[in-house]
Amino acid sequence: MEPKSRPAKRKGRKGAPRLEVAVRATLAGPGGYAGASLAAALIARILPGPLAEATMTAMLASFAIYAGLVVWSFADPRLSRVLLGFGLGGAALGGALWFSLQMEPRL
Amino acid sequence: MNGSLRQSMAWLHTWSGLLFGWVLFAMFLTGTASYFRPEITRWMEPETGQPANYETAITGAVAFLQQKAPNAASWNITLPDERQSVVRVAWRPEAKPGEPPRQRGGRGGRGRGMDATLDAATGQPVQPRETRGGEFFYRFHFQLHYVPVLYGRWLAGAFAMFMLVAIVSGVITHKRIFKDFFTFRPSKAAQRSWLDAHNVTAVLALPFHAMITYTGLVTLMNMYMPWPVMANYQDSQAYFDTLFPAGDEVKRSGVAAAMTPLPAVLEHASQTWSGGRPWIVTVNKPGDANSTIEVSRHSGDKLSYRNGSLTYSGVTGELLSKSPEPGAASTTGSVMYGLHMGRFAEPLLRWIYFLCSLAGCAMVATGLVLWTVKRRQQLPDPARPHLGFRLVEKLNIGTIAGVPAGMAAMLWANRLLPLGMANRSQWEIHAMFITWLAMILYACFRPAKQAWTETLAAAALMVALLPLVSAATTQRSLLSAAQQGDWAMVAFDLTLFALGGLIGFCAWKAARYAPRVSAKRVRLTEEAA
Repeated sequence: MEPKSRPAKRKGRKGAPRLEVAVRATLAGPGGYAGASLAAALIARILPGPLAEATMTAMLASFAIYAGLVVWSFADPRLSRVLLGFGLGGAALGGALWFSLQMEPRL
Repeated sequence: MNGSLRQSMAWLHTWSGLLFGWVLFAMFLTGTASYFRPEITRWMEPETGQPANYETAITGAVAFLQQKAPNAASWNITLPDERQSVVRVAWRPEAKPGEPPRQRGGRGGRGRGMDATLDAATGQPVQPRETRGGEFFYRFHFQLHYVPVLYGRWLAGAFAMFMLVAIVSGVITHKRIFKDFFTFRPSKAAQRSWLDAHNVTAVLALPFHAMITYTGLVTLMNMYMPWPVMANYQDSQAYFDTLFPAGDEVKRSGVAAAMTPLPAVLEHASQTWSGGRPWIVTVNKPGDANSTIEVSRHSGDKLSYRNGSLTYSGVTGELLSKSPEPGAASTTGSVMYGLHMGRFAEPLLRWIYFLCSLAGCAMVATGLVLWTVKRRQQLPDPARPHLGFRLVEKLNIGTIAGVPAGMAAMLWANRLLPLGMANRSQWEIHAMFITWLAMILYACFRPAKQAWTETLAAAALMVALLPLVSAATTQRSLLSAAQQGDWAMVAFDLTLFALGGLIGFCAWKAARYAPRVSAKRVRLTEEAA
């Protein structure tokens, strides 16, 4: 069998360039933690009811959000969509959190 | 990512499982052992007696504390349940002028020389051999060792997230998850069989694995996810005071007053809890007219781990207050904690926890082996695999045999190290890691199949011979335990035999391993020739 010609980029198995894997992993790992933290902080502020209860609920849910973000980072076939999602989503969550803190300062 | 959802999830599952699979195996195995933490501690402290009930224990504890620390600011008494044979007491001295009166949390004198271990039946101090006991396996599985505690917890949390992602991606990628539940084809080609084994151990106890991973993260969530607290409170202390109300600081009146008998107080508490068990008793300002007695409920009485407390007057014994009912979210958190700890589990359910947890270890182990089995078929030259493959293969052998062997080695050291040795408890722990490392190094110098057989056989012997070592070096043996009716210790030794047998069975299978090569591999080899 003739060897296939090697493309210029180094490819992992099944053809995903290593750069893409690295980008997705960076978004998933640290990015997912940041996203889950922002989401949890916002949830804690938004949920009605006693403050300590809302805080606890947000913390309990945060790991599921983190896992979901990690899975999405690798599941979405379009890297551009993942980048956009993290970028816009992070900005939106951060903005909402900042706004919420302006409206009602912390206890 | 590349190809279909199932393919990208398969890729994610492989890497999230493989990167830290060996540490996860160690965490899982030590966590499995932790369901029998008090039994392991009792086995490793043969100088202590048999479990006694808390009514007996409290009398001895109070007598000891009254003689040892009559003017302490507080006493702390951890009562035994039916699995423990000791009472652990601690006392906090009166704060000096200028010092803050009482700090929340902390260890109440424990570890600073102001604590003692008493026999539950007699109330006399016991001096068991210096050992960490089952406590070490428990702590290792969430804070590791040889690293500062905070770093260890962060690392364990990160590894747990990898585990959670592996579980989620594993479920997504598994095509016929319900049908495959009942599929195990041992005589098929190697990769198929190992995949079946991995699927069975993973899917059979999937609810357990998912629960244990998620609840494990939750138990340390104040550390891993403090942001909601920081978003709502300027001072996180306010949040914790809401969850765990401290009650007002008890002020010393200066008037001496005899303490009310504690057995009656505990009896009242138990009745108030409809037959519940007291666990930790804190006496504030003992001997003073203002003294109070706070009795907290055993964490195994309900699914929830935190079950509230009752506060009594230290002089009259009347009930002063109950801890407030927690809200829905707090209760959910406590239940998650309780599910992970499994303290609520009655003996049968505890064994089921243990078996599910062992299945989890098998899941991790079969997954690691599956990676090499699959990749071996794709190696261009099976006699000269690339570095990554060799690394994984050696670590697999060294860890899957080495961690059980290491845990056994710690118990061997517990029996064999001289009692008066300096740093004895630390050296028991070193024995575990030295053995684990030795197994990895051994695997580097032997061909894979021989390495598997020999290391597994060594591990099997180390585990199975423990009851004999124990009988030879201490008063406690299988026979003497049976004579004294100490069935927990009888079961412990029998379990060691059984686990040794299980590992020995794996060694025997490894010796006979002659995998059927798939037809595809045969074709590829023929084409290449």
